[in-house]
Amino acid sequence: MIGLVGRVTGRIGAGLVGEVMVSVPERPGSEAFLAYRAVPGEPLEPGSMVVVVDYQPPRTVYVEPF
Amino acid sequence: MLIGIAGGVVAGIVLLVLLFKLMWRVAEPNEALVISGSKHGEGLGFRIITGRGTLVVPGVQVVRRLSLDLNEAALDVECVTSQGIPVHVKGVVIFKVGDDPSSIANAARRFLDQQKMMGQRVHNVFAGHLRSIVGGLTVEDMIRDRERLTGETRSASGIEMEKLGLIIDSLQIQEILDPTGYITNLAAPHAAAVQRDARIAAAEADRRATEAEQEAFARKAEATRNSGIQQAGYQAEMDTAAARALQAGPLAQAAARQEVVVQETKVAELEAHRKEQQLQADVRKPADARAYETRTKAEADRDARISAAEALSRETDLKTAAEANRVKVAAAAEAEATRARGLAAAEATRATGEAQAAAEAAKGLAEAEAARAKGLAEAEATRAQGLAEAEGIKARAAALAENQEAVVAQQLAENWPAIVRAGADAFGNVEHMVLLNGAEGMSEMFAKALTMGGTGLGLARQLLTSMNTGAPAEAPAEPAPATQVIPVQADSGN
Repeated sequence: MIGLVGRVTGRIGAGLVGEVMVSVPERPGSEAFLAYRAVPGEPLEPGSMVVVVDYQPPRTVYVEPF
Repeated sequence: MLIGIAGGVVAGIVLLVLLFKLMWRVAEPNEALVISGSKHGEGLGFRIITGRGTLVVPGVQVVRRLSLDLNEAALDVECVTSQGIPVHVKGVVIFKVGDDPSSIANAARRFLDQQKMMGQRVHNVFAGHLRSIVGGLTVEDMIRDRERLTGETRSASGIEMEKLGLIIDSLQIQEILDPTGYITNLAAPHAAAVQRDARIAAAEADRRATEAEQEAFARKAEATRNSGIQQAGYQAEMDTAAARALQAGPLAQAAARQEVVVQETKVAELEAHRKEQQLQADVRKPADARAYETRTKAEADRDARISAAEALSRETDLKTAAEANRVKVAAAAEAEATRARGLAAAEATRATGEAQAAAEAAKGLAEAEAARAKGLAEAEATRAQGLAEAEGIKARAAALAENQEAVVAQQLAENWPAIVRAGADAFGNVEHMVLLNGAEGMSEMFAKALTMGGTGLGLARQLLTSMNTGAPAEAPAEPAPATQVIPVQADSGN
């Protein structure tokens, strides 16, 4: 999971959970994950590209702007 | 026997197939097989198969199917906002079991026997979260910022859904019902404002339309007025033209009449002119001719009288001249005769003198003889004597100082007639001459003319005088009449 690139579909606010869509190579299709910012900063608006820097199974990722 | 063996084989095969059928299980794409009953290395206690087949030992293992299909939970929640206003939120949550094994395991543990109840569970979870979230919001926020509502709902319920092994595909707040009419009232001012603006706009539009209409009417009226004015103008022009056309006949008649009158006037003028001309020819010209005749006659009479007088005068003159001429001729004849006699005498004297000179020295007797001859003959004689003397002197070769003067005197005597003629030229162009003091004046006139005519005459006289100093005193008196006679003769000859 780590290192995959995804796209924000729900706003990731400061300290709030958002949603990103990530395509996982082992599984067909793309899936929605709950996303937090790995380093607190500006909110990420929907549509911006992110990279997964951490993965908390089953459905939580920490992302940074790509 | 054989049939029994064959039947047994077939039965065996059929049995095997049926056995395989009983043991082989295949997972559909939208489901996961949860096989329990055998040991498993993952620590879960069961095996999860997705998308493929697997062998299951009947009676030992149990196969359950967990649907991975989409599920839907309708939300219908009574909430109270932060303002204490009760609202009725309706929405829908679309969710499914997660595709990863941990999600499937979580879901299998929780819902395997309650898959029908899954929607109810999810509804309950979301209803609690929605209430708490709506309680922190105002109606205005809910209405204006639904994204925030959904976002907060998702983030609040996300962790719990993760525990349940579910993922939310979609969360929609469909409607917010307002039993107290708050939203309606909330919209009322705006609606009123909108209505007001609409009415204002309508009124404005109506006003403008009315203005435009009225302006159009005014323009129409103006155009109508202008048209009327123009029409009236054109009508007036037409009337004028018609009147002018009506008057054209009389006008043309008058013009023609005027032309006729002009022509008649010209004719009358010409007639008058002709009459005047005729009068001139008939009356004035004859009168003038008569006057002219009279005048000419008078002038002719006068001229005739003058001519007669002149002729008379001329006749008198001529008579006088003839008389004078006659006298002159007589005198000339006389003189000629005298001269001839003188010449003869002189010849004789000269012959005598020469004879005497040859005989003896120059003798005064010859001179005395010559002096006794008549007037001019004496002069000639004197000259001849002088000449003879000069010749005598020459002959004697007695050169004298007076030799020059004697030559001059000789030449003068020879050119005498020419000198006198030159003097008489002054009278050459005189046609008529009237002398008021008669014959005496005549001679005086001639003397004057002679005096004017030859300047050398005086000199000649002096010379002659000086030469004749030795001659008798009466001698100079006689040559003068001779000189007077000769020019007159020459003049009359001219």
